[in-house]
Amino acid sequence: MIETPLVIESFARHTLNGLFQGSVLFMIATGLTIIFGVLGVLNLAHGEFYALGAFLMFSVAGYLVGFVGEPTDPVSIALFAIVTFVAVLVSALIMLPVTAIIETIFIRPIYERDEVYQLLLTYSLLLILVDVMKFGWGTLPQRLERTYGGINQIPTTELVGLSYPSYNIMTILIGLLVFGSLVWFFDRTKTGRIVRATAINREAATAMGVSSDRVFTLVFALGGFFAGFAGAVHSASALSAQLEMGLSPLILSFVVIVIGGLGSIKGSFVGAILVGVIASWATVVYPPAELAAPFALMVLILLVKPEGLFGTWGEIE
Amino acid sequence: MSEATEDDGPRTFSPMKGVELTITQIVLIVAGLAVLFLIPEVHGAFDNIRLSTTHRGLLFGLAAVGLNLLLRHTGLVSFGHIAFFGGGAYGAAVLVEYGGVESSILLVLGGTVVATTIAIIVGYLVAGHVDIYFALLTLAFNQVLYAIVLGSEFFNYSDGLSLRSGGTGRPTLLGTEFGATEYNLLLYYITIIVVVVSLIVMYRIISSPFGRALDAVGQDRTRAKFIGIPVRRYVWGAFVISGFYGGLAGSIFSLLELRVLPDSTMYVFLSGELLFMAILGGFQTLVGPLVGGVVLTYFLDNARFATEYFNLLTGVVLLLIVFVLPNGVVGSAPDIAAGVRHRLTNPAQLGKDASTLGSLVVNNIRDAIETTRILLFGVK
Repeated sequence: MIETPLVIESFARHTLNGLFQGSVLFMIATGLTIIFGVLGVLNLAHGEFYALGAFLMFSVAGYLVGFVGEPTDPVSIALFAIVTFVAVLVSALIMLPVTAIIETIFIRPIYERDEVYQLLLTYSLLLILVDVMKFGWGTLPQRLERTYGGINQIPTTELVGLSYPSYNIMTILIGLLVFGSLVWFFDRTKTGRIVRATAINREAATAMGVSSDRVFTLVFALGGFFAGFAGAVHSASALSAQLEMGLSPLILSFVVIVIGGLGSIKGSFVGAILVGVIASWATVVYPPAELAAPFALMVLILLVKPEGLFGTWGEIE
Repeated sequence: MSEATEDDGPRTFSPMKGVELTITQIVLIVAGLAVLFLIPEVHGAFDNIRLSTTHRGLLFGLAAVGLNLLLRHTGLVSFGHIAFFGGGAYGAAVLVEYGGVESSILLVLGGTVVATTIAIIVGYLVAGHVDIYFALLTLAFNQVLYAIVLGSEFFNYSDGLSLRSGGTGRPTLLGTEFGATEYNLLLYYITIIVVVVSLIVMYRIISSPFGRALDAVGQDRTRAKFIGIPVRRYVWGAFVISGFYGGLAGSIFSLLELRVLPDSTMYVFLSGELLFMAILGGFQTLVGPLVGGVVLTYFLDNARFATEYFNLLTGVVLLLIVFVLPNGVVGSAPDIAAGVRHRLTNPAQLGKDASTLGSLVVNNIRDAIETTRILLFGVK
């Protein structure tokens, strides 16, 4: 009789872990997928935007959190959580101009070139960004000490009798929020419709008076924003920001967008959650399979449905 | 396509059936071979010329030549080609570790078979895909193999496998066991022969009907399908051949290093480097990737000593290649020569170059700031 609740608790814990990782992954992959869907460029430097967001968060939050005291009573805990969230937002906002400038200077001249040059260019940006971060923050991993513990004092899962970090729960909620707002943005706002129109037919959109260059910059910066956002969320958790952190999410994002279908936001959401949860379950069954499980899933999907679950080929949906 | 065999252009020679060369090309080939053969003679005399660097450069270059079959002819960008290189290296290492094989020929054979098998499987899965999808998938498969090697005890995790049977012995070359210096030297000469033979074979492949069909596939898949080329099967074939080249290079690489590590033979960054080599040397030429391989290996080796920020340096060079030398070193050699000659006779041009570059950068930055402002605060 003792066994069953333990199994259930472990199952719930791993599922929640998977959802947490999936949410972070979604925020990275969604940027990659909309950049690909609209610009037609596969941004290999996307993982480094994520890493840059994490390092920025380390500095920004390290500065901001210093203003509030140790979280002890409910009011100060709430204040602490708000400050952390503001820090995440500020770090991601810094990514907007950074990525916009990168797009105008480096990416814009190569839209008409062969893919191989686009890949090599973004690959060179990846290499450059790694060393820029090395220059800015050094080679050692940087870890925020206080945010994770502070936010976990807010009770969430304890209310239903499960002890699980509240920070992760909030990240899952933020992931849902990002998904919802992106769908709303592309479906309901004028700018979103302009972006979709440009993705479908660039020339016709230009004829309607849309500045396609500006749309491209907007989309690239939006992608950079969400990658930076994901990095900041990562950095505020128990994990440290380090130089090598960009590569593995980048590759997993590829898996996610292949599973979901290139250019599909819905697809990247479903794909990210699937990858996160399956990788997390795989750690229980057979730990070394954690790395291989997402790829196995990808191969399976490709064989059954080569265009991905929600494949739209370049149109944002 | 600069083979110049269609019209009665420069006088050509035909050393063997199907191979036609102009006099300049023959001179360049002989000079190149002479340099390669002389490197062991002079590498002690100059600090900058190192036998091992040249050797590794040639092997990576050979893998890049294989990659170039896909890149140049079918127009497919494989971003996971180092997997076959690593497959060859690990194939050889596994034979030593678990099979006790000592003969180099068997090791190279075994490694190449392993890599080709991987290429057959992966190629079957990816041959139907094009463009970015193809790049993504090859990259993902690269990462799968890397993850498998890194995560399994069979391949000794990140510590890799050794090719020294019993801890000390080297694999035998030509049935004999050599000391360190002789071993490296002999292996180097064998490598040159392998590279030359591989280049000739590659030349024959791309001049064959099969190679021409690949060109047609690269130009327009639909058209190729309509004129009766079995596109998927041919791309699969090209993929397997290019994987074979990677495996061959990788298994010789393992004989050279005598230790196979996942990070030096399987890592995704190295796939980027292979592409970089092909572009740097000029991917529209046959020997370009080989030249690119040697040049880039020298560059990386020196950059690592010269500065802590060698990634930045590599990135900037790559950026310059993309924007300034899109045809690579071999491909744009005539243009470079003309440009240099023009600037030598006309020094004022340099000042113009600088001002063009400066205004370009300034304009771009102004544009970026303007766009960002509009994005953040609206048009008004």
